[in-house]
Amino acid sequence: MEMLIKIAHNYYYMVAILLFIIGMHTMLTHSNMIKKVIAMNIMDTSVFLMFVAIGYTYGGQAPIITAPANEVLYVNPLPGSLMLTGIVVAVSITAYALSLVVKIYRYYGTVDYDEICLIRSQE
Amino acid sequence: MEDQIVRITSRLVAPFIQVYGIYVILHGHLSPGGGFSGGAIFGASLVLVALSFNLEVGAKQISHATASVLESGGALGFVVTGLVGVAVGANFLANRAAGFPLGEAGEFFSAGAIFIITAFLGIKVASTIVTLFYNIIEGEDKSGDAH
Amino acid sequence: MGLTNHFPALILAILLSISFLSPILYRWARKLSAPALIFSLFLALVMAVYLMVQVYQVGEFTYYMGGWPPPWGIELKINLLRVYMLLVVLAISLWIMVYALKDLEHELKTEVMGWYYTLYALVVASMAGMTLTNDLFNLFVLMEICAISACAIISIKEDRACLEASFKYLILSAMGTGCFLLGVAMLYMVTGHMNYDLVNEYLPAAIEQYPNNMFAAAALFIVAFGTKAALFPLHVWLPDAHASAPSPSSAMLSGLVIKIYAFALFLMFYQIFPRSLLESIPLNEIVLWLASMGIMFGSVFAMVQVDLKKMLAYSSIGQIGYVFLGIGLDDTIAMTGGFYHLLVHAIMKSLLFMCAGVIIYSTGIRQIKQLGGIGQVLPITMIAFTIGSASMIGIPGTGGLISKWYLALGALEIGRPIFVVIILASSLLNAVYYMPIIVNAFMQQETFDGEVKPVPRQMLIPLLVGTAAIIFFGVFSRPAIALLENAMQLFF
Repeated sequence: MEMLIKIAHNYYYMVAILLFIIGMHTMLTHSNMIKKVIAMNIMDTSVFLMFVAIGYTYGGQAPIITAPANEVLYVNPLPGSLMLTGIVVAVSITAYALSLVVKIYRYYGTVDYDEICLIRSQE
Repeated sequence: MEDQIVRITSRLVAPFIQVYGIYVILHGHLSPGGGFSGGAIFGASLVLVALSFNLEVGAKQISHATASVLESGGALGFVVTGLVGVAVGANFLANRAAGFPLGEAGEFFSAGAIFIITAFLGIKVASTIVTLFYNIIEGEDKSGDAH
Repeated sequence: MGLTNHFPALILAILLSISFLSPILYRWARKLSAPALIFSLFLALVMAVYLMVQVYQVGEFTYYMGGWPPPWGIELKINLLRVYMLLVVLAISLWIMVYALKDLEHELKTEVMGWYYTLYALVVASMAGMTLTNDLFNLFVLMEICAISACAIISIKEDRACLEASFKYLILSAMGTGCFLLGVAMLYMVTGHMNYDLVNEYLPAAIEQYPNNMFAAAALFIVAFGTKAALFPLHVWLPDAHASAPSPSSAMLSGLVIKIYAFALFLMFYQIFPRSLLESIPLNEIVLWLASMGIMFGSVFAMVQVDLKKMLAYSSIGQIGYVFLGIGLDDTIAMTGGFYHLLVHAIMKSLLFMCAGVIIYSTGIRQIKQLGGIGQVLPITMIAFTIGSASMIGIPGTGGLISKWYLALGALEIGRPIFVVIILASSLLNAVYYMPIIVNAFMQQETFDGEVKPVPRQMLIPLLVGTAAIIFFGVFSRPAIALLENAMQLFF
């Protein structure tokens, strides 16, 4: 019963871990290369969700200084800004991976990784 | 794409998207956004023009040489802004200690080095998105020619 | 005088600037691009030597980016071990680049060579940053730069094999990065800091309340760094990636990139996690047994290979196992041996890959059984290959023996002689697959038939420098060992 209450309080983290597992499992087991790239994005997005959820303070408002007041409770802006950099990193890996997929398709004629391994083992 | 409605709409909307992108870049230190997202919006407007018209019209917006110079120039501008701090005597990428003018928090001309770095980053990201798009699209016409 | 305080940041700034300048230089001033890259690498190496001198005089010091002290800013820490790694990275990448300038002309198309310089400079900059940084998120960003650039210097030579190998490396590397970032999230949740020293300070108090976070973080870090550094069950991307890449890229990847992650794992275990964690969960045991299996399986798989570069790649899996063996044995002498092996193996493996590159450049042969009698037509190359192989096996007089000696001494000191048996058995297995090449090359009765292109002097001089370096580090090993023993005092 306590465990359920704890899970209900922290459901952001549970969803993030669940998405992480889904992303990692799909990335490693499904053979379509574009699915692997999408799953990599899901995995990275889940970690960003976890980080941003860590930064939330109960009862805080958005960390933009409109009036210079010291008694306002703000949400922690640090994880959010760190994850901006993380999103850019994930976008660049996605761009590079997709351009590799385009080139591999031109050479092998298929986007299915198991078929490519079969072709490579016969050369 | 040959559709007349798409062409007219994109030709009307593209300047507004660019203004919005520049707004997000320039207000990076005041509201959410900054160099990365603003640059992506600006680059997306150029990609929209290239997709709805054909590629030659899109290429006339930014040529390859210009995009390459803007990419390298944006990143080098970042490093040079950091080196200004070293030249003055404070550490690398120093802000107030290097003498950048900091205004009031919340004003437009404030947070000295952050404003300059955001501008350079926005230029770089916009030209990178355009270059990436052109590399993938043009790579399909010629066969296997890199860059 | 004022400028020398900023050398840690200036090393990174110079390497990043040359990587951003290279496309412009290559498009408009092609003759300047290669000399500019060599000059920047040399300048960074000179600055690193100055940092080493400064560490010997002053001791450990730190550099704050932007003048902001932690926890508000990123801190770069310079102590003896980090400056040793920095020197290894910069010196060997300069050495490989001198060789690469000639070899790349026949492997890559001319229009992409400017981009190779950019990517190479980015790999070197990110590795140099990873040795110096003291901040977890900075380490993440530099790890990502290194991962993308390392995949890109494989796939820049666009043929069938290297594109698929590069994609496999990218996917597995992205998995490692996701695990690492989740581990950082676990640590940030309970301590609220990203700086190594601040996390170390706040972690014991946090373990009392939330012990599971740290177990999860430790497990995720082992998976993340094990994937990227090719620890035993996570090594599957390495043979294809290192075998199908252009030879300078193979040398750089096998020599430096996989090692820097082993160094990062060492810093995680010994600088961030408190000592009590290592005694309560057997993290060292896990790394130790995985490393031993990697050593044995790397050699066993290398014995059955027919392609020269793939054999060298499988050998790399075995050799990185030695570095992890040094970390796993949890003893000062063994760790000295592991880190010395890092230096010596970087030289040896890069030398062997460069010899393979020269063989492919001049004869186009990659299969081992067609290399009979090649010693008469490529004498300098095969002599360099012989010295490199002798060092891999561990013959006295070469550097490979010193590292294995110290590893064995460390294993005996903590009272586990089985690892001495593993080290000796793997040396024997190394001999099984390196000796036939040398014997075939020099003492075969038939002469080598096939056309032989003359090898330019710019490609042979790095081979001679490497051979001399191996013998130097085998005979005059005392300065480096003394440096490492001093460095290890900080962590124990």
